[in-house]
Amino acid sequence: MAGDIILGYDGSAGSAAALRAAVQVAHAFGAPLVVAFGYEVMPLGGEVADYARQVRQIGEEKVAEGAALAAALDPSVAVEAVAVPERPSDALLTLAEQRGARCIVVGGMGDRPLVGAILGSVPHRLLYRSTVPVLVVPATDD
Amino acid sequence: MATPTAVLEPPTEAGAKGLKSGALGLVSTTVIGVASTAPGYSLAASLGLVTAAVGLHAPGIMLLAFAPMLFIAAAYFYLNRADPDCGTTFTWVTRAMGPNTGWLAGWGILMTDLVVMPSLSQIAGRYTFLLFGADGVANGVLWVTVVGVIWIVVMTAICYVGIELSARTQVALLGAEIVILATFAVIALIKVYADNPASSVHPALSWLNPVSGSSGALAAGVLTAVFIYWGWDTAVTVNEETDDSSRTPGIAALLSTLILVGIYVIVSVAAQAFHGSDFLTKNSGDVLGALGTDVFGSPFDKLLIIAVLTSASASTQTTILPAARSALSMAVHRAAPRKFADINPRFLTPGFATAAFGVVSIVWYVVLTLISKNVLGDSILALGFGICFYYALTGYACVLYYRRHLFSSARNLLLIGIAPLLGALGLTWAFFKSVFVYSNAANSSSGTTAYFKFISFDFKIWHFHFFADGLGPPLVIGVGLLLIGIPLMLLWRLGRPEFFEHKRGAAETIDGLAPPLTPGVGPVA
Repeated sequence: MAGDIILGYDGSAGSAAALRAAVQVAHAFGAPLVVAFGYEVMPLGGEVADYARQVRQIGEEKVAEGAALAAALDPSVAVEAVAVPERPSDALLTLAEQRGARCIVVGGMGDRPLVGAILGSVPHRLLYRSTVPVLVVPATDD
Repeated sequence: MATPTAVLEPPTEAGAKGLKSGALGLVSTTVIGVASTAPGYSLAASLGLVTAAVGLHAPGIMLLAFAPMLFIAAAYFYLNRADPDCGTTFTWVTRAMGPNTGWLAGWGILMTDLVVMPSLSQIAGRYTFLLFGADGVANGVLWVTVVGVIWIVVMTAICYVGIELSARTQVALLGAEIVILATFAVIALIKVYADNPASSVHPALSWLNPVSGSSGALAAGVLTAVFIYWGWDTAVTVNEETDDSSRTPGIAALLSTLILVGIYVIVSVAAQAFHGSDFLTKNSGDVLGALGTDVFGSPFDKLLIIAVLTSASASTQTTILPAARSALSMAVHRAAPRKFADINPRFLTPGFATAAFGVVSIVWYVVLTLISKNVLGDSILALGFGICFYYALTGYACVLYYRRHLFSSARNLLLIGIAPLLGALGLTWAFFKSVFVYSNAANSSSGTTAYFKFISFDFKIWHFHFFADGLGPPLVIGVGLLLIGIPLMLLWRLGRPEFFEHKRGAAETIDGLAPPLTPGVGPVA
């Protein structure tokens, strides 16, 4: 099942735009679409099991929502939803490697480069580290 | 801490808990343990208070106080195996001793985390001014408080947004902190022998003996010194996420132990040798700042101040994070308002609990600054009560929870029976002994300030001397905040009885994960 399109989806405006683009790309290649959400909780400060569970729940809701949106946009595309317990950029890279992905699609950080620089931006990390093409989709107003 | 063998193998499916497995290496695990304990800040905050209690026997107290912490760490290690929830002591005590005690344990964690905040902010505020050479301002109340409040705001924001320093940055910061502290100790000792600074004392072996005279002084010393090891247990409990979970935590715990005990003993020996223990007691608010100038000389004394500040920032982070998570865990299990379980959808942190803790901390810090003459001293001593309370409960919970497994092997008996019980008994003793010590207001660092002056008695039963003439601030803060939990718990119980229907239980196996505490929350594994 090589050639998957990996979509990073967190429900934000940027990721919604990325979702629309990813569905088109998947359709064009006839490739399956993987809607992914990476999450990591800080191990600093002790036990985290029930906290991680809460976060996982959020992640699973997000990817389910994304997968439903994608299926509604284009029923001909095969959609899969996964929540990965890794830092978002690592999660996408791991998935891309596992699936022999064709490309990774993510939303842009919008017009707040400083925020991206401080918090660390997923597209930025991907551009440096990914071995497959990365498609960064800007958020649109609609 | 011994390396776990096959008999006590932790559950392997770490990934199934929604956690990434194989995340942390030996160095990172050790670093997390030592950084959470924050040696630089701990020494800056407590050294003067320990010497106030026991004089030149401070290094001995540093050694002695480690014993109960080591024993309780065994309890943490094994209870964490049954239930790695972030409620820690709250969840474990609920399982082992029932929901009422469990709720109070959770309250104890939250109050202890709250009580440490003024001391952290105070140190951060003071050392910030010392860093810029504004020593006069550093001794004033107003501006130190202002910087302290800003400190809480910034650190809460960092936790809210979930910024985490990379492992490499943490290693570098901690490495610098340890090197600076060690260099400080070495230079101080060399100068003691070479230059004979004012009122310096040559180190003696008797310093390593914790017993200086009265058992009250010993208890007060231990109460202060448990604080310096507080947080060390984190190294033991991050086992689920380490590279090789059967070996890494054991070695990491051992390494962080050696580093911590070593640094504490060496620095306390060097510090009191340099100007004598009275100097430390007199400058308890900024020991390392006061010594740094004489030991390092300008401008290198700033290094020591930077080390204390980075250490305090790590410590603030490892206070806010677990506090918010304890609240989250209590909320998830219906023991606290639902709102505290909210996860910020963007940052994936317990947003409401984090912000709430920040706000309450600021209020508490400002109030304490207004009513106390010695924020730092009163906080650290009050903190000792909180730590003793919930660590002792953790120790008892371990023995009770694993009661069916205690006698199945000598190893079990030692690690889940004798060690936690001894630790818990030691801390219980320090707790009650200190209640007596600080019921005499004259023994607290604020000197004569006393509350509840109508509580006044003086009598002797057998050789126990009961004396109080008003209560000292550490006792009022430390025990008072714990006691407020009882009416709050009863109120919550009236309104939301759900959580209080839990039955206490025993572990079915020593390796197996416990069933979920609250039905409908989803299994732990």
